[in-house]
Amino acid sequence: MMLEVKDLSASYVLPEGEIRAVDDVSFSVDEGEILGIAGESGCGKSTLAFSISFLFPPPLRHVGGSVLFNGKDLKNFNDRELRKEILGTKISYVPQSSMNSLNPTRRVKDIAFDIFRAHMDISEKEMYERAKERLDLLSLPESVLNMYSVELSGGMKQRVVIALSTLLGPELLIADEPTSALDVSSQRIVLKELKKLFKDGVFKSMIIISHELIILKHLAHRIAIMYAGELVEVGETERIFKEPLHPYTKALIGSVLEPGKRVEREKIPSLPGAPPDLREKITWCRFYDRCPFADEKCKRKQELVERDGRLVRCERGKDI
Amino acid sequence: MSYGKYVLRKGLWYLLTFFIATTLVFIIPRLIPGNPISAIVAQMGSGVPSESMQRVYESFIRDYGLDKPVVLQYIDYMKNLFHGELGISFSLYPKGVTEIIGEALPWTLALQIPAILVGWILGNLLGAYAAYKRGKFDKVLFPVSLLVSAMPYYVLAILMQYIFGVYLGWFPPSGGYSMSAFPSFTFDFMVDILSHYTLPFVSLVAVTIGSQAIGMREMSIYELNTDYVNYSRMLGLEDRKIVSYIFRNAMLPQITGLAISFGTMVGGSIITEIVFGYPGIGTWLFNAIRQNDYPLIQGIVLVITITVLFANFFLDIMYGFLDPRIKAGEMEEG
Repeated sequence: MMLEVKDLSASYVLPEGEIRAVDDVSFSVDEGEILGIAGESGCGKSTLAFSISFLFPPPLRHVGGSVLFNGKDLKNFNDRELRKEILGTKISYVPQSSMNSLNPTRRVKDIAFDIFRAHMDISEKEMYERAKERLDLLSLPESVLNMYSVELSGGMKQRVVIALSTLLGPELLIADEPTSALDVSSQRIVLKELKKLFKDGVFKSMIIISHELIILKHLAHRIAIMYAGELVEVGETERIFKEPLHPYTKALIGSVLEPGKRVEREKIPSLPGAPPDLREKITWCRFYDRCPFADEKCKRKQELVERDGRLVRCERGKDI
Repeated sequence: MSYGKYVLRKGLWYLLTFFIATTLVFIIPRLIPGNPISAIVAQMGSGVPSESMQRVYESFIRDYGLDKPVVLQYIDYMKNLFHGELGISFSLYPKGVTEIIGEALPWTLALQIPAILVGWILGNLLGAYAAYKRGKFDKVLFPVSLLVSAMPYYVLAILMQYIFGVYLGWFPPSGGYSMSAFPSFTFDFMVDILSHYTLPFVSLVAVTIGSQAIGMREMSIYELNTDYVNYSRMLGLEDRKIVSYIFRNAMLPQITGLAISFGTMVGGSIITEIVFGYPGIGTWLFNAIRQNDYPLIQGIVLVITITVLFANFFLDIMYGFLDPRIKAGEMEEG
């Protein structure tokens, strides 16, 4: 197992209270695997992605649990060691907001050099060659190296960010909504490039986060569904799509719009209501208020249990 | 559009602005009520028979060309300007305006430039440090900076003059050097100059620090929370590198502040120099306005105009190099 996340909890500690954005989350990623994490906005996906780095910049705070990377507990690394030995080299990250992720006053080349210098001691010429190669792999011309972010289009920026994030050939790439800021055709290109890099072995494993299940369907081997800070279902992609076990997963899949299918406006299903306020401690099923199948039985704590080779946080199982 | 072309175009605009400004400089003093020549003549000739007074008056009017129609006066003024001639002062007749400005300007520049630079550098360092460290340091620096920069400058100057110059008597409260001292390159005279220099200098540095620190603190806090800072962290960049990113980008608007300070330094020197009786250009402008000294007002305002325009022009050009976003925007404007 490359990555093992065990009972990880993280909170935003704000003057108005503590928001438990990641609550007791456990999952793992194998070498050569792509794991998709899905859920609606505000469910804690991005915080989870960020927490794997174990940096926890305030107001984010580590509450409990651990992250093991190749068997090594990241808790035992201090901030300096994490940055020098893990982040960017072993675990890398494609952020959600790639549009603003490049320092506006530095050329792409200089940002790449900064990343190299943070981790290794090689000549400027070699850094340049390696950066050029990586851009080439993403179908970006060499001239991009001399550009500033303002000179790049949205799709190019996203590919530049992917190039920078994979510059050092990380073992695990965490891509947080890599396509959310792009138009449909750029989305397709970016997903294709990510797939290509994975096949070429530029990175070995990937966690890809999205609120659009359709993106994960074509990319991920396994999918973890997140709701209100908790994982509610984890399983193989095909099986999750074919037979969701959690009512929330079912609702999410029901709202997927497949390209090509004609969908009438009124018939697009949507899920009423909003997720619960995470400032309050909820002791029973968090999906209770929005679940069409909810009854008295659901008013108690639901554990993530194995069923049919899958993990699910709902007692009802197949009768939904 | 190439950058060279852009610079040329900007340059032409500034030239046009300069032309309009010099025209205004010609018109405005002439709108001040009162006849400057009769005031001078009255001063010079108390007790002289009124007939010869009349002749002196007329010869002055002729010498200064004030008998000509305003349009011709304007043409003469522009012609002289072109040749670098600023004319002869009314109130200090027969001293030339160029000579007066030449004597006063070094005092102003020697006071303002170091004060602005020191204040600007200290203000930015303190502001960035407060943003990065937060906590107690920030809690003290921020209100103090706010107080100093919100207080009218003349109040601060007069308070400092009273406390350190009069009440404690640490520094001479006014003047550029002692009345009894003889200007020379001796050690004693240098000490005398420096002790007179301290109060106006420190007061200027204080206000500059105040306003710069507030601006830099805000900008740094903003930059600290940008996506590129988070991304850099996730890629394992060291804090030292990230701080240098933040500092550089937060500095950009501060450079505008520096250029504006330099641009307005001659005009801004009036209050400092009046409060501290400093023999710079501000004091002369004040006197010139009081005595309707058209040529001297014109000359000094011209100096002010040139510094403002030059500072802005320089800024326009520099920004293209400092911030690629601005350069891209300028090119698009076409």
